[in-house]
Amino acid sequence: MIEAVRATKKFGRKTVLRNLSMTAEKGQITCLIGINGAGKSTLLKAIMGLTPLSGGQIRIDGAPIGKAVYEKVAFVPDTLPMPPSMTVADSLQFMGDYYSNWNAKRASDLLVFFRLNVSDRISSLSKGNAAKLNLLHGLSLDTDYVLMDEPFSGIDLFSREQIASVFTSDLIEGRGVILTTHEIGEIEHLIDKAVLLDQGEVRREFMCEEMRMAEGKSVIDVMREVYRA
Amino acid sequence: MNDSGESSTSVPAFNNRDPVYLQVVRHFKVDIATGKLKAGQTIPSRRELAARMNINPNTAQKAYKEMEDQGLIVTEGNAPSKVTSDERVLGAVKDELVAESVAAFVASVRGIGLPSEDLLRIVKRAYEAVMSGDKEGQP
Repeated sequence: MIEAVRATKKFGRKTVLRNLSMTAEKGQITCLIGINGAGKSTLLKAIMGLTPLSGGQIRIDGAPIGKAVYEKVAFVPDTLPMPPSMTVADSLQFMGDYYSNWNAKRASDLLVFFRLNVSDRISSLSKGNAAKLNLLHGLSLDTDYVLMDEPFSGIDLFSREQIASVFTSDLIEGRGVILTTHEIGEIEHLIDKAVLLDQGEVRREFMCEEMRMAEGKSVIDVMREVYRA
Repeated sequence: MNDSGESSTSVPAFNNRDPVYLQVVRHFKVDIATGKLKAGQTIPSRRELAARMNINPNTAQKAYKEMEDQGLIVTEGNAPSKVTSDERVLGAVKDELVAESVAAFVASVRGIGLPSEDLLRIVKRAYEAVMSGDKEGQP
């Protein structure tokens, strides 16, 4: 389980995370929802130890984050962080050289699944293909958790569908996923848990099926209650 | 991402307000009631179902658990799950779906206030027209 316990993050006078507590279980897909500036990306970075907290704590499987976090958690940022002159094949080589938990077999399966061409240069990839390659890098690490920052943002419908199908497959099964989005749309029935953020605070945290069962509300219904109130 | 040869389950359109796993169960019930799924027929694995219906594997798991609890499917050991051969259960599925549809129909026409004989006559005519059309349409 990944836990944020009263996490607070300040940039100067601006408070980006305010006493934020939430959990994400292994084997579940947890979705952080909120408008731009709600604190979603900062929370992911805090979980990865990429930005120090001003207060509170992040715990992964009960332990505070340290170097071991990189063996347990993969992070897929919102843009592909590879040099544009590399080819797709180079980028896989690079990942394999740097990460001891790189799974080359899964990487090649994903290449086929996403129909990516190994000889293409990063600079020439469409936005959709860059997003797929980015996801491929993260998913090909043997980690218990995968964090994804806006995996569906700004890409075409068919790429979104292809990426969504990753969540229904054995690529994710058993792992814990935290993804962020500002629009829930077509992935609503794919996620297990929703955490609604607003101005650095958790406004609602609920299991989607329980919400449908108990109150007959979709995630979007709850979002309307929270953000329009 | 994986597709087996079975094509008995098509992809339903889910609404977001009813629990998805119950919508999956209902989809199976419709397939059973209409004969698309037969007694004793093997159904896709949980993973295949998740991929085919674009749902979370946890949801597929929950749907199968529910169907097992309701006696709709049986799973023995590590063998793939099968539709039950229990005629009583299969008959109950048909009854349940018909009762559900009739309730919805009654709810929508009650305001019109037609005498039941008139209503039944109209239903009978419409039903027979559709059924005879179906027969002619078959190859």
